[in-house]
Amino acid sequence: MKKFIDTIPLLVPKIKDIKDIILTNIVLLGQVPSPTFHEEQRADLLLERFSYYDIDECSTDGFQNPLCIIKGTSEIKPPIFVIAHLDTFAKLDTDHNYTIKKDSITGPGIIDNSTGIGVLASLPEIFKHLHMKFESDIILAGVVHSLGKGNLAGIRYLMDNWNKPIRGAICIEGGEIGRLNYYSNGTRRCEIECNISTTIGWEHKFKPNAILILNEIINEILKLALPQRPRARVIIGKISGGFKHGVIAYTGRLGFEIQSDSDKMVQSIYNDIKDIVEGINYEYLVELKLSTISNIKASSLKYNHPLVKNSVAIMKKLGIQPISDPSSSELSILLSHNIPAVTLGITHGENYHLTNATVEIEPMFKGIAQIISTIKIIDSGICDEK
Amino acid sequence: MKNNWIETNTFHYSDFQNINKLVEVKKQRGLSISLCLPTLNEEKTIAKEIVIMKSELMSRYPLIDEIIVIDSGSTDNTIEIAKEYNADVYEANNILPHLEKYTGKGENLWKALYITKGDIIVYLDADITNIHPKFAYALIAPLILNKEIRYTKAFYERPLALSKMHIRSSGGGRVTELVIRPLFSLFFPELTQIFQPLSGEYAGYREVFENIPFPIGYGIETSMILDIYEKWGLNVIAQIDLDKRVHRNQDTKALGKMSFAIIKTFLKRVEKLGIIDLKTDLFEEMIQYSFANEKYNSNKITIEEHERPPIIEIKEYMDKFHK
Repeated sequence: MKKFIDTIPLLVPKIKDIKDIILTNIVLLGQVPSPTFHEEQRADLLLERFSYYDIDECSTDGFQNPLCIIKGTSEIKPPIFVIAHLDTFAKLDTDHNYTIKKDSITGPGIIDNSTGIGVLASLPEIFKHLHMKFESDIILAGVVHSLGKGNLAGIRYLMDNWNKPIRGAICIEGGEIGRLNYYSNGTRRCEIECNISTTIGWEHKFKPNAILILNEIINEILKLALPQRPRARVIIGKISGGFKHGVIAYTGRLGFEIQSDSDKMVQSIYNDIKDIVEGINYEYLVELKLSTISNIKASSLKYNHPLVKNSVAIMKKLGIQPISDPSSSELSILLSHNIPAVTLGITHGENYHLTNATVEIEPMFKGIAQIISTIKIIDSGICDEK
Repeated sequence: MKNNWIETNTFHYSDFQNINKLVEVKKQRGLSISLCLPTLNEEKTIAKEIVIMKSELMSRYPLIDEIIVIDSGSTDNTIEIAKEYNADVYEANNILPHLEKYTGKGENLWKALYITKGDIIVYLDADITNIHPKFAYALIAPLILNKEIRYTKAFYERPLALSKMHIRSSGGGRVTELVIRPLFSLFFPELTQIFQPLSGEYAGYREVFENIPFPIGYGIETSMILDIYEKWGLNVIAQIDLDKRVHRNQDTKALGKMSFAIIKTFLKRVEKLGIIDLKTDLFEEMIQYSFANEKYNSNKITIEEHERPPIIEIKEYMDKFHK
């Protein structure tokens, strides 16, 4: 293994040889709008890009996740998955024309996750260029319905329906190079909807304001005493409501996420927030509805798992500083199926979810080298040892 | 007027999506193809055009043999970026340097004939933000698949209703609809079938381009169509629907200057053909007015339309290509 790791830096200039192909895949795929629940066109193009190569199988699964299978040399080794989510936060009507400059690409969704999808589409060409063969089948999967209300539906379907075992998996994200996610927090993503009756009646002589009601709820959530151990937090992530400046808001919506490395703590905080919502509902006589969008269990590889240890070694060999954080993305579903998996970032980016999101081109080649090397070490059997 | 030209010589890019087949035919016919991108301060778009064309139509499908950037003096990073992405970059002034120097798109296109090696030359504007391989392969396809067609021109959006089954909304650009189409209707009604005569994307055989003169400025597209039409007829021309092209919108005053140059080129051409007789020389100043500081101010801009002769008349060119 050490011998292989020593050769990893040599991959970088070879990958750079086919820079044009990689950038073209990123740009052509990224320019197809792909908000959650509207990924069909990007999925079709990804399949078209896959099908250009002499690939053994290339199709969508029953949930319309585009997949490509590169057959391995072994008949018995389980497959390795490389996964990137197809959806982005950019809306359908946003201008998706990207700009390539000397050292960067700019455009909506480029970091999260057009770069990931473009690199996924390029992997068959990169393997060919590097003359790389694997024992395992390599399954390249662009998964749909990941973000927000998509609730990771694509990866859930894929993992629920794929015959196990799976030898290992890598989730790829445009940014940030150096990320090494190998554990996911317990996460409950919720929404509170507040509706004020618009009918005239005695009960609402002084009509409440939906935005102020949500403000009350936020204040109560902020009063919750959250423990240091197990770690826990509530993120107030989205708020919307009202019609216009001079009219009381009849509707409002609050999105938040409870995160903890303990599933019990997530449940306990959720119960507290449920009590808050019920109390305010009763006090103000409004229609408050608390709903759960997704509920992900905490799961983790150990920090000394061979996949984690070797991923760190690969990164260090490439001069990439590894940074570990919890992830609530596709990784959590893979780990919950007991599949050894990590999430890796490809390059450095700025303005993550803005229309002028930008990625740097030069770090990409190291980012791709780390992904390929990680596939290679899984294929060498490090995850089998367990 | 040849009424069925639209039906026989209008294509949609999707007719040519089998690029492998194009590569095969190109090989069988022993043709070489050059892509030329004329530039002037295109740092925002040039890299994407080079990267996508190289990756898709050189590496993936070997349809194009070379990509040439001819620059007319960019002051931004266009040249540096084009070199970074490994295009062959030339400054127009350094090509055939003993000739009098002019600046303009037509000049770049004309000089590209000396630099490029291909039997077919594809010219694409370098400011296309939604660049896609179709911009090149769809222009090339009719040239290599149909021996009669020698020149292809792009059009975009969905102009005019072709038939009951193909309803399309009308519209070239403003200069096309307000200047070119009326002029064509008056003098060359057949040419009104070309939906967007001013589109900056076209391709053709070297023997076509080397035998026609090139105005150095805005008149290049109009004169090219008129000259090809006069020399070889409408049937050598085809137009290809590329669906959509996103480009910078220009203000009315800029379009006015463009129209001035085009009308001038047009009038000179019809005079040369003996269709009209201009009793006086045309003026070279475009006069526009603006209102500022409580008064009307005239802005005079000299728009000279120099013209390069057919490049086949240049000795160096003859030595290089027709020895």
